[in-house]
Amino acid sequence: MVSSISQLEIVIASGKGGVGKSTLASSLAILLAKKYYLIAVDADAEAPNLHIALGIDEWDIVEPYIEGRIAYINRDKCTDCGLCADACQFGAIEVRNGKYYVNKWICEGCYTCSFVCPVKAIFFERDIVAGHIYVKEKTIYGFPLVSSEITPGRPNSGKLVTEAKNKAKKIMGSKKGLILVDAAAGIGCQVISSIAGAHAVILVAEPTPSSLNDLKRIHKLAKHFGIPSMLVINKADISEKYREKILEYARRENIDYLGDIPYDENVPRSINTMKPLLEAYPDTEASKAIRRIAEKLVKIIDNISEWRLKHLPAKIEPFIPIIIKPGNNIVK
Amino acid sequence: MKIAITTNKGGLDDQIADRFGRAPTFTIVELDDNTLEIKNVYVVENPGSKAGSGAGVRAVQKLVDEKVNIVIGPNPGPNAYIALQQSGIKVYAITGMTAKEALNRVIEELKKK
Repeated sequence: MVSSISQLEIVIASGKGGVGKSTLASSLAILLAKKYYLIAVDADAEAPNLHIALGIDEWDIVEPYIEGRIAYINRDKCTDCGLCADACQFGAIEVRNGKYYVNKWICEGCYTCSFVCPVKAIFFERDIVAGHIYVKEKTIYGFPLVSSEITPGRPNSGKLVTEAKNKAKKIMGSKKGLILVDAAAGIGCQVISSIAGAHAVILVAEPTPSSLNDLKRIHKLAKHFGIPSMLVINKADISEKYREKILEYARRENIDYLGDIPYDENVPRSINTMKPLLEAYPDTEASKAIRRIAEKLVKIIDNISEWRLKHLPAKIEPFIPIIIKPGNNIVK
Repeated sequence: MKIAITTNKGGLDDQIADRFGRAPTFTIVELDDNTLEIKNVYVVENPGSKAGSGAGVRAVQKLVDEKVNIVIGPNPGPNAYIALQQSGIKVYAITGMTAKEALNRVIEELKKK
């Protein structure tokens, strides 16, 4: 069973999009769920699609996610002086027939308009449904899936991702197990939230210049949190030159290399059938590669404490802020 | 001297929270500057835990408001990291134990100095 750390959290991330995070996550989840009590979390709240890879079209639990606020103008009090429109940094206040209104899609809820309003006509609508958390208690592969989705135009999905991860922990309760998090592309708020608190990160890269660049960026984030990383190179045979560059980076940065997945035309076919690759094409080259990766991963999970000590990232170079004070020269 | 510990429900028997900016509470311990004995313990809510974004900065702001000198918890995120450096609050990165255990370790470290 999962050694020493009773509830292990592993995140699959890549920086660059489209390198195969969800494809790998769905297949790894199926393999690892045979050995551990596993909960999968789709932490890409902006474009969730792990449920598509796992063939889920109905949820057991749908919970609204409440966050933020939107201004509205009380028409009875408003004198249409237009101060709010001048003050709004987001251009969220519109004039229609000489009257002022808040555009709900643009308003960030920053309160500025309410501070400048001379007649206190601006109020705030709270309880905004900014997204949803979805739970499938048992996928056809046996493990639960927690997914999250942000409403278009609502900002900041970091908290939503935190709540989705907390939901998974709640489902797990006091049991021993593994939480497998499929992170979003990029290194933004929700990716930071996906990585924070995790025990290990699986970095997925493809041998292209842009993937290598984004790999370094996402790895910097993992280093920031002091989380050790593993590496999977997907579509590994498309460029030997960049495969070698990625491997060199991994060696230099003490990233544990789990293996390659070859380019395989059955991967897009499996996505189109809404089945994980492993179920759709169990004998294709990419499936075999994922099975080998899962075997390595199991060995790591069973000795996770030792592995973490061995692969702890080097401390990041301290950031020295440049403080600019009014009237002063720049001091370092 | 004041030491804050990132906690879940709060209190010295609580486990250290596994996230910095979104830790639900800070358990704040006041120490005697000379003897390093615990004078007072109280729990404050972390406004970062409820923030949609900017959680790290809000958390550090709370620590600054509370005049904390040292914080014990997981590695802070990028924004919290910069804010902590600018505010001069020292971080002891410790997780996987109770607040009390971590506090005792830090006090021992401080006594060596």
